[in-house]
Amino acid sequence: MELSRRNFIKFAAGGLGGTMLSPLPWKLIDDIAIWTQNWSWVPVPARGKFSYIKTVCTLCPGACGIEVRKVGSRAVKIEGRSDYPVNQGAICPLGMAGLQILYNGGIRWKAPMKRVGPRGSQEWKEIPWDEAIDELAIRIKGLRDKGNPEKLAAIDGNQSRSTMALLIKRLINSIGSPNYMFMPREEDTHATANFLMQGTNGPIAFDLENADLILSFGCGLLDGWGAPGRMLSTWRQWANNGKKHKTYLVQVDPRASNTASKADLWLAPFPGTEAALAMGIAHVIIKGKLYHKKFIENHSFGFYDWFDEKGVEHKGFSKIVLEKYSPQMVENITGIKRRVIIEVAKKFASAHAPIAIAGKGKGTLPGSLYEFMAVHALNALKGRVNKEGGSLITDDVPLAQWSDVEYDSVAKDGLIKERVDCAGTPQYPFSRSLIHKFTDAINSGHGSPIDTLLLCSANPVYTIPDSQSFIEALAKIPFIVSFSPFMDETSLMADLILPDHTHLEKIVDIVWPTGIQYPLYALSQPVVKPIYRTKHSGDVIISLADRIGGQVAGSFQWTNFEEALKERVRGLYDSGNEKVSWADIKKNGYWYIPAHSFGRWTDIFKTPSKKFEFFSTEIELALKAYSKEKSFDNALINLGISSKGDEVYMPHYEEIKSGADKKEYPLLLFPMELINLASGWIGNPPFLNKTLFNHQLKRDDLFVEVNPKTASQYRLKEGSKAIIRSPKGELKVRIHLFDGAMPGVIFVPFGLGHTAYDKHLKGKGVNPNKIIDQVEDPLSGQPVWWNTRVELIKI
Amino acid sequence: MKKEKYTKGNKYGMVIDLDKCIGCGICTIACASENNVSVLYDESDKTRNITWLQIYMVTNGKEFPETEVVYIPRPCMQCDNPPCVPVCPATATRKDPNTRIVSQIYTRCIGCRYCMAACPYHARYFNWFDPLFPEGMDRYLSPEVSPRMRGVVEKCTFCHHRLMRAKAKAYAEGRRDLKEDEYIPACVQACPTKAITFGDLNKPKHKVSKLIKSPYAFRLLERLNTEPKVYYMSTKNWVRRMADNYLEGEFK
Amino acid sequence: MDLALIPNGVQRCSLRTFVPWMVLWLVLIAWGLVSAFLCFYKGLNQTNMNHYFAFGLWIVFDLSVIALGAGAFFTGFLTHIIGEVFIYPFRENLKAIVNAAVVIGFICYSAAIAMLAVDIGQPLRGWFIFWHANVHSMLTEVSFCITAYLGVLTIEYLPLIFSNRKLKEIPEIDIFGNNLHHIVALFAAAGTFLSFFHQGSLGGMFGVLFGRPFAFREGFFIWPWTFFLFIHSSIAAGPSFTLLCVWIAQKATGKELVKRSVFTLLAKISGWLLATYIILKIVDTVAWAYGVVPRAGMSLTDFYQENYGIWLIIAEIGIFGIVPAIILITPKFRERNYLLIIGALMNVTGIVFNRFVFTIQTLAIPVMPFDKFMGYFPTWQEWGIAIGSIGYGILLFSLSYRYLPVFPQEAEMNPVEVLGKVVTDSGAIKRS
Repeated sequence: MELSRRNFIKFAAGGLGGTMLSPLPWKLIDDIAIWTQNWSWVPVPARGKFSYIKTVCTLCPGACGIEVRKVGSRAVKIEGRSDYPVNQGAICPLGMAGLQILYNGGIRWKAPMKRVGPRGSQEWKEIPWDEAIDELAIRIKGLRDKGNPEKLAAIDGNQSRSTMALLIKRLINSIGSPNYMFMPREEDTHATANFLMQGTNGPIAFDLENADLILSFGCGLLDGWGAPGRMLSTWRQWANNGKKHKTYLVQVDPRASNTASKADLWLAPFPGTEAALAMGIAHVIIKGKLYHKKFIENHSFGFYDWFDEKGVEHKGFSKIVLEKYSPQMVENITGIKRRVIIEVAKKFASAHAPIAIAGKGKGTLPGSLYEFMAVHALNALKGRVNKEGGSLITDDVPLAQWSDVEYDSVAKDGLIKERVDCAGTPQYPFSRSLIHKFTDAINSGHGSPIDTLLLCSANPVYTIPDSQSFIEALAKIPFIVSFSPFMDETSLMADLILPDHTHLEKIVDIVWPTGIQYPLYALSQPVVKPIYRTKHSGDVIISLADRIGGQVAGSFQWTNFEEALKERVRGLYDSGNEKVSWADIKKNGYWYIPAHSFGRWTDIFKTPSKKFEFFSTEIELALKAYSKEKSFDNALINLGISSKGDEVYMPHYEEIKSGADKKEYPLLLFPMELINLASGWIGNPPFLNKTLFNHQLKRDDLFVEVNPKTASQYRLKEGSKAIIRSPKGELKVRIHLFDGAMPGVIFVPFGLGHTAYDKHLKGKGVNPNKIIDQVEDPLSGQPVWWNTRVELIKI
Repeated sequence: MKKEKYTKGNKYGMVIDLDKCIGCGICTIACASENNVSVLYDESDKTRNITWLQIYMVTNGKEFPETEVVYIPRPCMQCDNPPCVPVCPATATRKDPNTRIVSQIYTRCIGCRYCMAACPYHARYFNWFDPLFPEGMDRYLSPEVSPRMRGVVEKCTFCHHRLMRAKAKAYAEGRRDLKEDEYIPACVQACPTKAITFGDLNKPKHKVSKLIKSPYAFRLLERLNTEPKVYYMSTKNWVRRMADNYLEGEFK
Repeated sequence: MDLALIPNGVQRCSLRTFVPWMVLWLVLIAWGLVSAFLCFYKGLNQTNMNHYFAFGLWIVFDLSVIALGAGAFFTGFLTHIIGEVFIYPFRENLKAIVNAAVVIGFICYSAAIAMLAVDIGQPLRGWFIFWHANVHSMLTEVSFCITAYLGVLTIEYLPLIFSNRKLKEIPEIDIFGNNLHHIVALFAAAGTFLSFFHQGSLGGMFGVLFGRPFAFREGFFIWPWTFFLFIHSSIAAGPSFTLLCVWIAQKATGKELVKRSVFTLLAKISGWLLATYIILKIVDTVAWAYGVVPRAGMSLTDFYQENYGIWLIIAEIGIFGIVPAIILITPKFRERNYLLIIGALMNVTGIVFNRFVFTIQTLAIPVMPFDKFMGYFPTWQEWGIAIGSIGYGILLFSLSYRYLPVFPQEAEMNPVEVLGKVVTDSGAIKRS
């Protein structure tokens, strides 16, 4: 047949018709639809046997119990563990999102790494573990050979009582360096206040569950304070007590935080005047003789006027309070109405089981020592020390001590050298670690006094206030080793990476989680096998010591970290409180003493006076020691104390000074911590980004909370772009108008503005630490992070 | 549309006590991780990201320091008269007659988004992007819930797979009925302040049935007759006032 | 070159003029195709639609072109059914534009369906609407009717295509075309039925949204009032749009293609329908404002905020509703060419406003008191698809005009001298 155009059309039409009548096109359409239901790039989770593993979350010092659901070998869900004393099923957002930390290859170091390009160029070479540990061992040996072991330093973010922290400290000390530092934290302020007033170094322990009135001086009890799981389940308990028995919550806060909003009463004094408020409340209690007479008269020291052995008369706490902190005077300082101060004081005084508790935000950053003492003085006034529903004094967890370190001569010579950060020196008598002084020491000299810096479980480049200075200091340190499992800001500046496992891949212990009122020991156990070529830092330290050899190796006679743990846990068994073996604790995962012996006021205070000290003998001793070097007045100035006379030794209000001029910098920058935004060394996982509001983060812009009145002074509207400028630098932000923000204060959340991690986090928002202009807290010397004067510039 | 009356079967519902809710967001996260909800690089884009259970923040509008913040967690309201179900052209969403849970069949959904236009609560979410589990994060995905492909609508299912799990367990033990706490969605389990109560509204003995009789109980947009099975409680007048639209003087 | 394809007895521009004209529209189509490709390949994140604006520009465009394409069925209905049976002048006048109306209708509906295919998240499963049809859904009704009606339009379009000079030479096609032509009235009836339903269902789609007090309407049986209002508004706007298209074609070709009386008739029909529509629309709005709205606890001012202010209702009903209705029903006004065109244009604009309001404003309004008013502006990809469809429409219309005897009155009104002999028979389909 001739292929004419006509025939062609016929053929085509016939072909088309024929095809349409055949099943082919219909089958094809169906198959294509089935294909869309099974796209290869949509993951199909593998099936497997379900199993549940109980462990403890170590993402924050709260250490809540968690139960991980596994399918086959994969962990698929984290849930709160209800058979665990701390949190009773409740966990925090970060803990819940823990799998995005474990499985996010984008934020993790997958093997030991050696820097090959210039620092910060992010050119790395993967090396074998042996080579990595050897390199560090050789460097440390070199320092020791040159007789400079003190040039080794460590910055540690582990809980102070944990075996990891002890192990790192032991390593540093046995090598011969005194320079073991840890990240600044609120616990230390509490511990120091306890030490000065009660003589015990124990952690804070508030029996919040049984209190009927909580007077919180800024603790974000419902904003992630302490062990969030515990606090939130406690809040549930309070709420469930019914209207009549509901625990009355008074929140002192410059902002309508979650806690302030849920509190029965919200007080908003000017930031930094909390101590004055506490003193004002004390005034009302003392004036009305509403205090606990038995406790004050028999078990306290320095409440009334007294004579020392030289016959000099000293003013008592009560006199100073009555003289200097009348409600009217306190109103002038704090801005809280006289009437309200009296009302709160009377409520506090008449409550059955009130607790006053100092702190800020999540309770992770250090506070002001005198303020903490002032707040704790309220507990003492009402005799709320070691009482049910009060502030408790408890023995430490009875863990066994390891055998003493045997120092060789190199180590002995190194250890007598002064710490780089001056902690524990007469100028900083009550501090054990001061990273900002470490920074100053490095930045002020020509060469770095530190040669090798180890970084464990910490991301100071991000979390340290005035982070720019710290970064400058790091740049001067010749060799930096990071044990971080994460590609965080600090490890990106390191020279050698020895990546640790994440919290779900390793065994570590938790000794007394933060804020808990009873001693508790728990084990966090591996949920999954390590998914990358990482190594437990505890094991790395033991094999490092082994390779350094000599008496350093002698101090680390364990083959692995678990053995070191086991040795300490023996103490629980030996304590006889409750028979517990290693096998038991591995099975149960925890050990604690639920029963508490209350009262015991006659033998519980370990102060020189064996009483609760309103007048702190320890401060007196420290000042005496320091004034041997300097005149008494100079000593006070160096300690940052502006008050005079007997007040110096007692809780009182110290105005926290700021270096910046109030005219040039009229506003206050107040960093805030949010429960749904991880602000510590662990980066915020993606799931938590889901919970941030649009008025907190939009694209890469961080919103800061400003009172509409303050904003209107700068002609700023909702969403306006602005610059916050402090003497330390600038932050580019957007404005969120929030009635709940105190006028004159700018609230900036901690937790965003990362320059490391993955696309979910990097470059989103700004980090207030960058521009924090820190001053030192009087007496404690800890950095004050919430007192930066700033100006606001509309752009 | 038509009002159906069921006398038997279950009527699963939820009561969220806003006095207890502190807006921590853990319900959102528990939900997302239980249900394999994908995460965008820019989660601040609330008009594109997926949060089956979204938390709204409201304030009483008063000046400092009288300001008060309250959070309203909003899962799918699981309406008994769902505006979204009758509109779906492809029958990809339905209200189960036995459990009254509104579910979505992802493999049938054609992505027309008519249901989203119908829902006044914004409880339905469209996958504008391919699901994203970068850098090995697909390893935490649960096999109980299938991840969604782009171009389909997804929503809260009251963790329907948990109901299946509980039922399977009950049947294995020879029981026909579930106990009150045997089936609860992930958000309910996770809520650290136990602000969320879950149960069968058809069973008078269940806690939810008692709670909804409280004078403080209310629902969102009740006036639209969507009959949500998610209830809220608040002792604060201004919060209850914010749950629905009222003309001047209507709210007592 | 293409002379052999051009109908007898009419003059067409040279290919040198025609090709650049085509290229212009092809560029727009290419923009649309690139946009469509991106949407298929990367997903609907290429648009600015979001959870709030689940519907965007495309749905507005779809609703609009379907409403404007109503000229096809309505003209067919008037010509073949009303014209045959009742009102003879209708047939006489309207048969001059019935072909054009069919072409316009075909363009509108095919473009709408193509756009819908891009608009749904899973186009490859689009047929699930038919397979897993939910009879309660207005969208199911819409989909069935639109698809069926596009089939009808194709059948109505085919005889016109077959009347191309070259195709006519093939006897089979000629016979087939003629046979189709004879039953065209049947299809016009089917089309009318289908169209009434889907125009209504499109309105019903919004009227049934009882979760959205702005769109929700009570109604008759299962049909909310919007069902009837959408039918009414589409048949009011359709003829105006046909009128406008033909008028533009006249301007573009520089020729009179239909008689002025045809325009007058279209304007008159359009005007009276618009006038009655506007009255009903006002009644509906008032009833809604005093019924649905307060029952939901809302007031009118809650709906008209930010970019979507009260001006919208003034524009839709007042400026682009009442004014064109007056222009078109007043003989004195519609006799003037410029007023006629302005009236038709305003009429069409008003209906687009109406479709916009129902789609976009419905979604912009927060229903939960603590929710926010939202804004939306399409991306270039969204504009691309919309504008590409316009390009496609103009292209197809131009091709039809050039190669098919679309306007039966053209040859008669524009006699051409070919080889010294006046040819008036353009080969147009003769209707007895």
